Amino acid sequence: MKRSSLRSLPLRAGALLCLAAVPAVAQETDPFNKLDPNNRFSIELMIDSARNAGLPSDALRSLALEGIALKIDGKRIVDRVRREFTLLRTARTTLGPVSDEEVKAAAAVLNSGAKPAQLAAFKTREQGRSDLQAFTIWADLITRGVPSEEASSAISKLWEDGADDAIFYGLWKSVQTDISQGLNPGAALQNRIRETPVRTPQSKGAPPEG
Amino acid sequence: MIDSEQHTYIDMIAREARRPVATDRAARERIMTLVRSEPAPHRRSSVWAAIFQPRFSLSPAVSTLLAAGLVGIGVIAGAFAMNRDGHQVGQPRFAAAQRLPVSDTVVKFVFVAPQAEHVSLVGDFNGWDASKTPMVRSEHSGLWTVTLPLPEGRHLYAFVVDGNSWSADPNAPFAPDDGFGHANSVRIVNRGS
Repeated sequence: MKRSSLRSLPLRAGALLCLAAVPAVAQETDPFNKLDPNNRFSIELMIDSARNAGLPSDALRSLALEGIALKIDGKRIVDRVRREFTLLRTARTTLGPVSDEEVKAAAAVLNSGAKPAQLAAFKTREQGRSDLQAFTIWADLITRGVPSEEASSAISKLWEDGADDAIFYGLWKSVQTDISQGLNPGAALQNRIRETPVRTPQSKGAPPEG
Repeated sequence: MIDSEQHTYIDMIAREARRPVATDRAARERIMTLVRSEPAPHRRSSVWAAIFQPRFSLSPAVSTLLAAGLVGIGVIAGAFAMNRDGHQVGQPRFAAAQRLPVSDTVVKFVFVAPQAEHVSLVGDFNGWDASKTPMVRSEHSGLWTVTLPLPEGRHLYAFVVDGNSWSADPNAPFAPDDGFGHANSVRIVNRGS
């Protein structure tokens, strides 16, 4: 080997190390590298598709990261992310142009067992009114064992009567206390819904946002 | 030695070097036959030659220093490289707390676990990484707390007890089954809440 080649050997080695350092550091810190390449590709494809479709892709990424943190099998993570993608798309189609947070909360309601038709009642709303709390309590009630039809009907009725976040939260607090004391979830909701005050419908004439 | 003398000697050497050398014809033929029988050398591509036959040279010390500098730059650049979703990888812990956006709200999480040795908060705000948000135990009690800034919206979270047991917050609404056999909780953060 020529003398000049020998001299520049450390330079070449350094350049190669330098090129290798960037992906090496990124690999070390990217949890998606723990996935099988095929599963990773599937998940990244769904995240990209969600972004292109105007859906909150961060929900899919978060779900995949949760699965990775729990050391769940990659195929199962892919299946769950695919299901979430479908739920988000259904929620967006049903509710129309609402915020990403509302779409995610609505997808959770669908995931808990509610039907898209029951979600449609929330499509029109007063300007500035958010259904995040209503959706969260709705999903929780079904998760705790309240029959889906009863929970959907109660939440929709409160929503139409103009209930605010404090009313939804108060209802949830009462029902979960009753359930933790051993009352049947459905009966607990029926008892508490009768006691729940609702706002006087003074601003029902405001233009809908959706 | 002066220039005129130098030129004389150079001219003599040049003349001698240019003088034809008489060789044996048979010997020349033997040499040329041997040369022709050798395989032609493999020609490297121009790209290969450009990389491995540099037209400059550096001393070993300078080369080593330069290489070390390049590696350093690479490591620093790698540490701040972005992943495909635009999230910065290799961020220092609690970076969000150091640069609190105006829209974020400081939220306190509380969990009761008297027997626990270590409790962490995981959620969609920290990539479900149990090492990112450790909770602090109150003196002489089983109360674990952590305070952190969160953007407005709906957040999913859980508590990780002693590194392996995930628990939902009993004082917050449940999220539906995540599909992985674990329960999570929901915290809604409103502006100024």
